[in-house]
Amino acid sequence: MKKSGWKLLGMALILTLAFSPAWAAEVIKVGAINDMTGGTCDVGKDYALGIAEAIAYVNDAGGVNGKKIKLFQFDYGYRIPEAVTIYKRLRDYDKVIAVLGWGTGDTEALSPTVTKDKMPYVSASYSAHLTDPKKTPYNLFFSCDYSTNARGCITAWYEEIWLKDPKYKARRQRGDKPRFVCFYSWPTPYSSAPIKAIKDQAKILGFEIGPDQDVSLTALDTKSQVLAAKKFKPDLVWHGNTTMSVATALKDSYALGLGAWHISNNWGFDKNLVKLAGPAAENAIGAVPCAFFGEKGPRFMPKIVEYAKKLNPGIPEKDRLIRTVQAWGDVLLLWEAMKRADKAGKLTGEGIKEAFETLRNFDLGIGAPPVTFTPTDHRPTSIAQMYIIKNGKFKFLKRIDFKKRYPEKWEKEWLGW
Amino acid sequence: MSWLPCGIYHEYYKQDHRWWQTRFVWGKMILLFIVVYYLFPQYAGLYWIGVANIIGYTVLGAMGVQLLIGYCGQITLGHAAFIAVGAYVCALGMLMFHLPYIVSLLIAAFAAGIWSVLFGLPSAKVKGFYLIMTTMAAQFITVDFILTQYVSRIGGRGVAFSLPPGTIKVGPLVIDNDVRVYYLMVVLVTLCTLAMANLLRSRVGRAWIAIRDNDIAAEALGVNIVKYKLLAFFVAGVLGGVAGAFWISNLAALSPEHFMWSWSLWLVGVILIGGVGSIHGIFFGSMFMVLVLEALKFAIVPLAPIFPQLQMKFLFLKEAAFGLAICLFLIYEPNGMAYRWWQIKNYFNLWPFSY
Repeated sequence: MKKSGWKLLGMALILTLAFSPAWAAEVIKVGAINDMTGGTCDVGKDYALGIAEAIAYVNDAGGVNGKKIKLFQFDYGYRIPEAVTIYKRLRDYDKVIAVLGWGTGDTEALSPTVTKDKMPYVSASYSAHLTDPKKTPYNLFFSCDYSTNARGCITAWYEEIWLKDPKYKARRQRGDKPRFVCFYSWPTPYSSAPIKAIKDQAKILGFEIGPDQDVSLTALDTKSQVLAAKKFKPDLVWHGNTTMSVATALKDSYALGLGAWHISNNWGFDKNLVKLAGPAAENAIGAVPCAFFGEKGPRFMPKIVEYAKKLNPGIPEKDRLIRTVQAWGDVLLLWEAMKRADKAGKLTGEGIKEAFETLRNFDLGIGAPPVTFTPTDHRPTSIAQMYIIKNGKFKFLKRIDFKKRYPEKWEKEWLGW
Repeated sequence: MSWLPCGIYHEYYKQDHRWWQTRFVWGKMILLFIVVYYLFPQYAGLYWIGVANIIGYTVLGAMGVQLLIGYCGQITLGHAAFIAVGAYVCALGMLMFHLPYIVSLLIAAFAAGIWSVLFGLPSAKVKGFYLIMTTMAAQFITVDFILTQYVSRIGGRGVAFSLPPGTIKVGPLVIDNDVRVYYLMVVLVTLCTLAMANLLRSRVGRAWIAIRDNDIAAEALGVNIVKYKLLAFFVAGVLGGVAGAFWISNLAALSPEHFMWSWSLWLVGVILIGGVGSIHGIFFGSMFMVLVLEALKFAIVPLAPIFPQLQMKFLFLKEAAFGLAICLFLIYEPNGMAYRWWQIKNYFNLWPFSY
């Protein structure tokens, strides 16, 4: 490089350093660690847009009792070491009081650190491992956790299809057990989190469980897994990955005539599944944490659509996903907790966590079941919602309240996995 | 001993080989020591200490890559695998056998070294691009297959391990905040650098360099190529194991996602930018790779309110800037930042009579 080049570089560096000012006092700083360019950007980008839009709305709606929120949003490209430096930057340099995190990678890696730092970490990872306040008191989220989703999906299929479909009548009368296998990415914490729970539920309902199939998150071909599963002749397949991979598995199952029903976790179940898998996605059942983007009914939906149009006019409305609404869910939840903490005069990490624990049957207004947090239980809700794809459209199938159905197990056994 | 190199005469080979030959150099080194061990952790603030810890992790990781690529000429694209082995062995040693951290670290380093030798075996037969394939195989066999399918399930822990607070102790000292992690990092980096620098000027190091420069000539000179190549893989693996064992102290959590193939590639980028075949290069490269990302964050935060699109639409700029930096370095500084440092140093050393 020429000498002038070095000078320019130096000046640019000095300028950027000089221009990072301290912010005004009456501003609440919140950090966000999102994946907009990395391995999970197929669902991560929409979520990141939703975070920024929801924070803009919160500020327009008066902020936290008059205090504006300043959002520090960073992309970490799904590189865990970078997520760690971003987190430390947010904590020590920007001095945020809460972090809106993304997936399992960063959330589980940072979980011991946020607990130590008393930093509320509201994530898009709904793993049930994060719900036991004894172990992870500062990991929070708004939705029904993955394990309850999984229990919900398998129970919904059992009750709505196995017990009702005339096709299975003969087998039911013979006393046959329905046969079940799991397709998921073994190494990915998101995918493997609910497996123990769904197998437990399968045993409760009396399923025959086949061998697990390892399907990578970025799978473009799942024929060998489908063929291996076909030997077992499953009636039902659980898909634990994100949309792209689930679509691939559905298409291959369809092409190879697996002849099973499909159930999927929430990050594998959105508009893109229908787009990618087409007729293979027909009759797929999935857990849905909140209303779909643009769905009529929920109180906040007009605002969600309005802010999406206002802040990101370049993205057509039909391309926006349920992920935006999920981002709003986490932001609205944190907003409510911060308002309560501020009213109590304790707008700190610890105060926000305590404020979370005062939420009782709080309706977020995005079509999600109301949330409750207690000091001994951070499972936001016990209600799983299942939808089914009919003619390329999402149709409501069933809502199951696990606390009502298995009160004993819900209270004593199921916390934290 | 005098202040300047002028007028120093050596009577023994040993004298000629001393690291720090003048008082001036001693002074610089003492200053560096004070800065690194006292001033920086005292005054830099937690954020910069956190950044320094990541730089230290990158340095420890890149050290083995530098040894293999820069000194022994064995191109590797699977070094994250050995870092992962170190991290998992260290974590398992502490969680399952309740070993002290330091003992666990040593075992982890040794295990990673042996593992590395196993995947270095093909280097006896293959070179260049073909060796890249076998080291990539090491990555996928180790991390994506063995660690995720089997090792990370040990003890019913699911995929992600997390170490309960207070697990990582050096003697009575619990490594639980960034400053203590920093000291651990600095000590490990210092020891590894000393070991590597001294190894490189020994018989072993010279054999590696001979193999790098021309393996046939080296063999003709009587260097046992297979032995020294495997030794290089062993030492590189040990350094990787140390890096992995350090990583768990920094995060207290561990999952196969931390050691993806992209991290191996990243480490090669570190030594390309820093300078292939230079110990300084490891440090410069690591600092560059980590600090550029931080600098981009400093640039984005104040600009984001003015250009809201910066955060969403121009994200690729960050990735592109990175690729561009590597390209520019390969074109304008093919010897890396270490070469530029050497030139700057020489300029001052020779001033005012440089010619």
